[in-house]
Amino acid sequence: MTSMADWPTVLAPVDPDAVDRLFFTDHEWDTIEAATARIIPTDHDPGAREAHVVRFIDRFLSGIDYVYAAADGSGFLRMSGKLADAWRGRIADMQETYRRGVRELDAIARQSFGPDFVSLSDDQQDIILERISGAPKPAPVARDADGASPTVQVYAFDDGLSFFDALVAHTRQGFYGDPVYGGNRGRVGWTVIGFPGPESLKDTMDGTYSLRDYYLRDHDWSELIPQLRQTGGAAT
Amino acid sequence: MEYAKKPDPVDVVVVGMGASGGTAAKVLCEAGLNVVGLERGPWLRSREHFSGDEVKFLNRTYLWSDPRVNPRTVRTDENETAVPTPFSMVPQMVGGGTVHWAGWLPRPRPSDFMMRSLHGDIEGASLADWPITYDDLEPYLSKVEWAFGCAGLDGADAHEPYRSTPYPTPPVPPTPAAKRFYEACKKLGINAMPIPQALVSQPYRGRTPSNWTSFWNGYGDPSGMRSSTLDTFVPEALATGNLDLRSECYVREVTVRPDGRARGVVYIDALGREVEQDAKLVLLCLGAVESARLMLMSRSRQFPDGLANGSGQVGRNATFHEYLFAVGLFNDEQPLYGFPGNYISGGSFQFYETDYDRGHIGGALIGASHVGQPVNWNFPGRPAWGSAAKDADRDFYNHAMKIGHTLHDLPVASNRVDLDPDVKDAWGLPAARITHKAHPNDIALAKWQVDKNVEILEAAGAWKTIPVYLERGRASGNTCHQHGTVRMGTDPANTVLNEWCQAHDVDNLYVLDGAAFPTATGVNPTLTIMANAWRCADYIAQTHAKGRRERLPQARRGPQQVAAS
Repeated sequence: MTSMADWPTVLAPVDPDAVDRLFFTDHEWDTIEAATARIIPTDHDPGAREAHVVRFIDRFLSGIDYVYAAADGSGFLRMSGKLADAWRGRIADMQETYRRGVRELDAIARQSFGPDFVSLSDDQQDIILERISGAPKPAPVARDADGASPTVQVYAFDDGLSFFDALVAHTRQGFYGDPVYGGNRGRVGWTVIGFPGPESLKDTMDGTYSLRDYYLRDHDWSELIPQLRQTGGAAT
Repeated sequence: MEYAKKPDPVDVVVVGMGASGGTAAKVLCEAGLNVVGLERGPWLRSREHFSGDEVKFLNRTYLWSDPRVNPRTVRTDENETAVPTPFSMVPQMVGGGTVHWAGWLPRPRPSDFMMRSLHGDIEGASLADWPITYDDLEPYLSKVEWAFGCAGLDGADAHEPYRSTPYPTPPVPPTPAAKRFYEACKKLGINAMPIPQALVSQPYRGRTPSNWTSFWNGYGDPSGMRSSTLDTFVPEALATGNLDLRSECYVREVTVRPDGRARGVVYIDALGREVEQDAKLVLLCLGAVESARLMLMSRSRQFPDGLANGSGQVGRNATFHEYLFAVGLFNDEQPLYGFPGNYISGGSFQFYETDYDRGHIGGALIGASHVGQPVNWNFPGRPAWGSAAKDADRDFYNHAMKIGHTLHDLPVASNRVDLDPDVKDAWGLPAARITHKAHPNDIALAKWQVDKNVEILEAAGAWKTIPVYLERGRASGNTCHQHGTVRMGTDPANTVLNEWCQAHDVDNLYVLDGAAFPTATGVNPTLTIMANAWRCADYIAQTHAKGRRERLPQARRGPQQVAAS
């Protein structure tokens, strides 16, 4: 049993042009790709389809080889011990969730419109997603206060997620996560949201990647904090 | 079960190598005691293992404790069945909570040590005074700030208690969002200041700050800019040659001699073998949930209800500092940029002390923080999918700000940590079960403070504000802060530890983490935990280990003390 601190780096970052499937069947791949394209659709900007989010999900569900990228992004950590066991169980459950999810999408699609989910129009697919999510398609952010909501949980872990919630969470992770995991192809996600992400994970380790320019340069603390003029505090 | 050869006894065994364990190990080893440090998690290497990978660090369990390995169950009421739930999943590894934290490092206030003297017995709560005062702790707050590394702005906090030393380094520069916060506070006459933070903003004792990546809150820091016991106190303890640090060693019991004193610990090592490590002194530094759990698992003829649990208080009076906040969405041209910064910047102690006119006791340190990286940035009511979700990201990710606080929740005897009757962890041991129901004061305090956050966001020009109150009726454990389960106090009938965090019932057992807190305080607990651990470790090294005993005079506290300080 190798200590977590010594898990070796194996494999390589997911090739941005890879099209092979490690988990999904062809039909599952096409269905999930269509579904992710409704979660983060394409408009004047790229969406989940262009970011290859389905490939991110496929790699994640393929086993425990693509769970943790090496810190510098040069490959993936080969796990062992209790954490590896935990992840085998988690991925096995999630594989089942996605297989059942694809069957459910097709069943409701055929029941509602006749053909499989992947053959429906965008609007028809949205209707199917409303059905399985049990709620209408979300409306744009409106100014009027829609009341307070329970606190946002920090740990957005996968355990116990429904198919729809897993699809939304993994689409977001695939669209905005680091490209080494197979999604966010060409860093399109970061361009869409306006996040100047790093060129590589390695750059976030050695100071190469820096957002120093986004901090204020010409600030004067005593201007921001009147109290300092009374106590003559340092204004560095 | 395989057994390994029994190692030689040592002066001290420290269980848990996080904030308090790392501090205790440094102090004891530098005083010449030989110490075995046992940490159930891995011993990672910052420069090799940490980087800006959001999915790995925030959405998966690389640092967070994995609920399939370390499950917890949670319930609101004692007659409900507790449900497996990730709760306060602080990383279980060398460095503990100081590996992933944003590093809020504010000092407690004198009033935090005297809540019962100040407010009397609040109905439904188990308020208690601390057996020490702010003045007893102040020298150690300074020692930690200077030895550990801290950034703050001298003279900025109008409500600051006495400080015997200035800040070792100045604050990091503000971000656009922080500037908007300071301007709003100035408009409302609120004294805002940079929240003291566990980082060095300029070269300091061999560390050069170079993590301006914004991958900060929830990530390990590869650069050494942020202060963590993993990079500071643990290596310093090792440098003395007196620390034998054994990682991936899971302590399942503290053993007891026939005379009722602690013998040592039994742990399962990385290869699954059972090992007995005897010591003259046993220090528990596992964090409030796990220290209480280990004591409750350590049953014996002398302690049928758990080690040193004569008072029956072990696990009780648990508090968890729920993080509550309001999000402001802005639609003016000037982007606020939700991602840069070291998570927190401006904050205020203006609303920290009690004001009875508000109808509740206690207050809060409020802090403006950035909204984080793209995957996990969020606000309640954010559209989850479809074009509305994509528009919300494009329109508001760089036009949002959060102002929040950790809730100074009241201790309640029935809010407790005990052993789940059914759920086991990956070692086959009973999981910690958390029973927590918010006290009415918590709910009222949270509402008042979040409404104040909204007021400031509106003054900052927010187009829309979204409050997050304590709706669920219990803590969710979203701050990883945990306190109170092994209380300090003077009366052995209703407390477990004395003023040196020495167990009343077992005089060679100490508990040095947040479990010892009689009340939660309203500030992030780690600086208080580390200062208190340093103070008690000094007592152990200078007094206890030399065969002497000393008691702090108890008669010199009380309300007049507050007026004086």
